[in-house]
Amino acid sequence: MNRSRVITIARHEYRAAVRSRVLLALVAILVVVTAASVYIASVDYSSKLADYQAYRAAAQAGGLKQIAPSPLRLLSLLRGAMEYIDIIGAIIGITLGYLSVSRERANRTLALLRSRPVSPGELAAGSALGALAVISTVILATMAVAVVCLGLVGHDWVSSAEIVKLLLAFAASIIYMGVFYCLGAVMTARSKVAANGLMFALGIWLVVVLILPQIGDTLDADNQVPGGLFSALTLNKAQETKIITKFGTYETVRRDIEEASFAKHYERFAFAMTDVQDKYQGLSLSELLWKKHNDIAWMVIYPLVLGFALVRSFRRQPAITQGVNP
Amino acid sequence: MIATIAAHQMLSLRRQRIFLAVLATLMAMTTLAGLIGWSSHQTIVRVYDEAVRMLGAQGKPAPPNPFVLKPTLSLLSNMAIYIPLIGALLALILGHLSLADDESNGVGRLIFSRQVSRRSYFFGKVAAAAVVLAVILLVSFLISSVSLVLVNGAAPTVTDFLRLAVFYVVSWLYLMLFALIGMVTVLLTRRRSLALLAALGVWLVLTFAMPQFTSGLRPTASLNPITDPVSTSQTFFKVTAKARPFSVSEQYKEVSARVLETGASESTSATVLRVVPIVVLLGVLMLMTARLVRRHDYSRSSADE
Repeated sequence: MNRSRVITIARHEYRAAVRSRVLLALVAILVVVTAASVYIASVDYSSKLADYQAYRAAAQAGGLKQIAPSPLRLLSLLRGAMEYIDIIGAIIGITLGYLSVSRERANRTLALLRSRPVSPGELAAGSALGALAVISTVILATMAVAVVCLGLVGHDWVSSAEIVKLLLAFAASIIYMGVFYCLGAVMTARSKVAANGLMFALGIWLVVVLILPQIGDTLDADNQVPGGLFSALTLNKAQETKIITKFGTYETVRRDIEEASFAKHYERFAFAMTDVQDKYQGLSLSELLWKKHNDIAWMVIYPLVLGFALVRSFRRQPAITQGVNP
Repeated sequence: MIATIAAHQMLSLRRQRIFLAVLATLMAMTTLAGLIGWSSHQTIVRVYDEAVRMLGAQGKPAPPNPFVLKPTLSLLSNMAIYIPLIGALLALILGHLSLADDESNGVGRLIFSRQVSRRSYFFGKVAAAAVVLAVILLVSFLISSVSLVLVNGAAPTVTDFLRLAVFYVVSWLYLMLFALIGMVTVLLTRRRSLALLAALGVWLVLTFAMPQFTSGLRPTASLNPITDPVSTSQTFFKVTAKARPFSVSEQYKEVSARVLETGASESTSATVLRVVPIVVLLGVLMLMTARLVRRHDYSRSSADE
């Protein structure tokens, strides 16, 4: 694989993507809704933080030696941002993949490229690299807006330990959107009419991102009552676990439905990195990563499978036009 | 002429694989909605029995059963999620295909070389979308009714049937919104993909962004029929809550919850008022589509991408 050819294709991919108005519109929607969701959460956090600081000052003034640590988790305010990347980020990925193929087809440059000494692997790697650069820019812009919002509105800045976890969540987001980029490109490349490929990719997105997690969530016994079933039944965690073990098959089916969704793996990992769930409180980063090894494994397998499919799709593109409309 | 255009449109939709695929997904999910409702309901009942046994052994009093007096139609509460998700996307694709195909394969140019008025064309297309969505929802209604009979072991009462019918009528109005959004975006853009993605952008804003701005509902909370109450006491929500009546997806879910009796009850007039924004938006979109069809340049073919 020739590195300079790959980089040239990647540069071309990046430049062409940022010129697309539709992509810019989707990115703008993502950034605006993320900023709004973090703003809403930060306003609430700010008042809770002020309450805690007042309690702390009063406790110190009263000479109290043991002061309860803050129950607030700054990164959990990014939950909305992660959920929007989960839903809108995937669509941006698909759009990038679609544009990547349809643009070259419409301009008849795909056939031209295939007639040059550029291997399908180089073409796929260059396109994917360019797309990943675009995705990284989008994620960085989104997260920068979110983190600044946390500081300015929530009056609390991200610590160095939190930055590492945040970077891991960013990396997962890039991989997640990259997988959907591959899906969009593969489906478009396989369709005679590019717009149909886009529609099929969106159909898969609907199942993977919305339907499968929705079924899993709805089947979760604890989600059946507002505030949680086990809380309504006044059961503690140990009692909850004891009862759940009696519904082994049901829970296995429910979990398998969720496992089938790549979006759910991303969500679980991103939520663990951004302190959304109580159960991961107090764990070190290595413990956290070990707990999430299953989700990490899926986040490695999916890109590999779709990356391979992308190379295959580019290999199948004809090297010369065959007298039909692209 | 309106009937001819509508019939042609329905015939062409039957040949669209993507339309059939999304339709099959909606039908499958309608069937699954009853099954999921039944399965989760049975599990909750068994969890409750276990909890009563466990607390009894510890000498603690049994908590009230959270499912006592749960209405019959609550088994279908998931439909109020599938319609705005799968149904709305199906309607977007339906509206998109109705006009985009005519643009890209030159049928539009051919039609208007004949004595066909723009008015007939517009009404034909809208009628086709309305009939197709009505048939889809009628089939959904039948599947839901059969699910209720199978799961509850008894036929629903006349009132329940009427409630279910009202739910599907409101759903039809709601889906018509998205069919028209699919058409409007085709008429406003030059490329098919741009039209489809613009329509999808509108759907994202209406389904996920608006409920968060006006009610603090997180995006994934919109995927569960049971949502935890969200604190909206902030100044931000005091301002944005004023726009809540215009958040059509929230109004649709609220109406569904009242009709299927899964939410807190309210007066009939209050529920009817919630449908008004959907009807008003429908009217606005109809006028907009009619105006755009009248002004559209069909001599220019749009790009196939």
